[in-house]
Amino acid sequence: MRTRREVLQGLIVSIGGATALTACGGVANVLSTQSGSAPRFYTDAEMALVSRVSDLIIPRTETPGALDVNVPGYMDGLMTDWASTETKNAHRQALLQIKQSLDTQAGEDFLQVNDETAERALAVFDARAFAAAGDGNGYKRVKGYMSQSFFATEGGATEELKWVAVPGRWDPSVEI
Amino acid sequence: MADFDAIVVGSGMSGGMSAKELTERGLKVLVLERGPEIIPERDYVDNLAPWESPNLDSVAQDEIAEHYPKQYGGVAYAIKESNKHFWVKDDEHPYEEAEGTSYDWLRGYHTGGRSIMWSRQVYRLSDLDFNANKTDGHGIDWPIRYEDIEPWYQKVETFIGIAGSAEGLPQLPDSVFQPAFELTDAEKALKAKVETTFPERNIIPARIAHLTDATDEQKELGRSNCQVRNRCHFGCSFKAYFSSLNATLPAAERTGNLTMVHNAIVSSLEYDAQTNRVTGVRIVDAESNEKRFYTAKVVFLNASTIASAMILLQSTSETYPNGLVNRSDQVGRNLMDHVSGAGAVGLMSGFDNQKVFGRRPSGGIYIPRYANLNGQDKPYLRGFGFQGGSSPLGNGGGQIAGIGRNFKEAHKNPGPWRVNIGAFGEQLPNSENRVTLHPSKRDRWGNPLALLNVTYSDNEHTMLQEASKDAVAMLEAAGCTNITANEVSLTKPGNRIHEMGSARMGRDPANSVLNQWCQAHDVPNLFITDGSFMASSACQNPSLTYMAFSARAAHYAADLIADGTL
Repeated sequence: MRTRREVLQGLIVSIGGATALTACGGVANVLSTQSGSAPRFYTDAEMALVSRVSDLIIPRTETPGALDVNVPGYMDGLMTDWASTETKNAHRQALLQIKQSLDTQAGEDFLQVNDETAERALAVFDARAFAAAGDGNGYKRVKGYMSQSFFATEGGATEELKWVAVPGRWDPSVEI
Repeated sequence: MADFDAIVVGSGMSGGMSAKELTERGLKVLVLERGPEIIPERDYVDNLAPWESPNLDSVAQDEIAEHYPKQYGGVAYAIKESNKHFWVKDDEHPYEEAEGTSYDWLRGYHTGGRSIMWSRQVYRLSDLDFNANKTDGHGIDWPIRYEDIEPWYQKVETFIGIAGSAEGLPQLPDSVFQPAFELTDAEKALKAKVETTFPERNIIPARIAHLTDATDEQKELGRSNCQVRNRCHFGCSFKAYFSSLNATLPAAERTGNLTMVHNAIVSSLEYDAQTNRVTGVRIVDAESNEKRFYTAKVVFLNASTIASAMILLQSTSETYPNGLVNRSDQVGRNLMDHVSGAGAVGLMSGFDNQKVFGRRPSGGIYIPRYANLNGQDKPYLRGFGFQGGSSPLGNGGGQIAGIGRNFKEAHKNPGPWRVNIGAFGEQLPNSENRVTLHPSKRDRWGNPLALLNVTYSDNEHTMLQEASKDAVAMLEAAGCTNITANEVSLTKPGNRIHEMGSARMGRDPANSVLNQWCQAHDVPNLFITDGSFMASSACQNPSLTYMAFSARAAHYAADLIADGTL
């Protein structure tokens, strides 16, 4: 029998120059924009940026990554169905500034550089944003959307956080 | 001949208990609920996994602005996309605030009322509280003392189930307990250091209405032990936390004496001056607008503090032109809540190799009132308790630096342990704090809107300033680091969702509405056992007290019916 991981890997599809897996099943898939489908909120360029950045922040390791669980699609759904016009505009503006900053950091189009250069550029940008006060021109919030979306998916919740639906008991002191 | 022995207006925390006790005494009871029916199997959403709710289970921002600006503004932590049906839409159930004031009237209109969405902390009042008005002269003396209500606390607690620990504190009498949720090691360390530094202060497990060792009676009602999911705001399919929908209403129903009518908005009570009795209840159907009239030997108002006062004010007659049983002009006055807005947060070191298993519901620790216990020794009257807890900070939300594997791995680390404590303070009774009927504005059913006019006194402001200092001092004593205490900002009146006092009990009909049995001084077959009867607010969460007084009043009324008085 194939492991969950193997099943996930077998479902890889290509989107916007980044690799993606369909999400792990469940209602959120239906409500999010499907991997490979046209985004409802993002432009193709925005979707490519969100996909690239989320993949770098939450890559596939021994557990699923952001693309494996369709974080870009989740965020596209979030912006389409949840966000107010004000939030949508702020998000769009944040993505624009993030792209410009990362292009500057990478020395060329961030979406065209290799993995090593992209990781280095984002790491520097991320560190600066968290070292400074404020929202990093919207980056921290975007990162928050990515992280929360990831952990709200079945893959992120169960495989990464080991979320249990019914703990059934309270243990206040568990040695790590 | 009356349609029913008793009508109970409202099916929430106190209405459910009134209905249970009256039906168990053999009385035929009609419960009128203004909202629609909640069927747990259909309407609870506690079994949804995180990925089964769209958009982080967040209500769309435009929808909040249109329908939930007050509700969401008051309890954003509790209103999610999946459970928003438990909260009223502000545009459908509006109210008005007096100029220069602001009030959070946070509600759920459906079977069980707010007992479905409450935070489940339950604490007894003590004689410190029942003597408070008499001692400092604010408000009027309670016509009752602790020994009068103590057996009813016991009765109610045995039925509802409370997880807690016996502590022997005179200002916070012990309840009938099932096993408490054990404190975390960080909380135990906090307790040891604070209690050593401040011997008059205690840190105890929060007392919460969750089953941890269900009794046979509770199991017979389909209830089972808490599964430690912390999904309480979504209903509980295990019926582990107390709500009237999970416990008292099913108990009433199994007697065969309960009739329940939903979508029945009470517009007034009918009063017969010749017999000096309330003869029945006039309602308008929320869906059809049909008007109906139900009769009964006795009426229990359990519509909630503001709504019950409004029903009285709407019930005018030649005898009571200013509202039923309002000869004292106290109906709608003395509206109280608890006040928060002071506290502190800090980090506890030494526990980085620990985490917890399970999601403990409804807080971890309680710091009972320690101010002014033996005489007046603080620059404010009365006191406050702290609610809080300590748990790993975690890294959810993505608000930590780093990318890639390190970022993911950081989420497996529970992170430093954070302590937080927040004050719940007593609000002094003040006759100028009140609800009245708006002179012109009406809701879609033709009933007047509530006009709320509540402000805090200097005492609440001073108390919260002192609470803030105390919170910091305790965290410092515990060796916390990164202690922060935001500038004190009092919660809006109503925000603690502990409204009380709008038909206070007292000894003198000239300055109170109800007697010691929650019975109207002037109309003996009218009882009010929601928060309206409270003569002072104390600082403890009040639902348990509402239920104890409801049970006591129900048995008193049943006795009066049995002996032919009513």
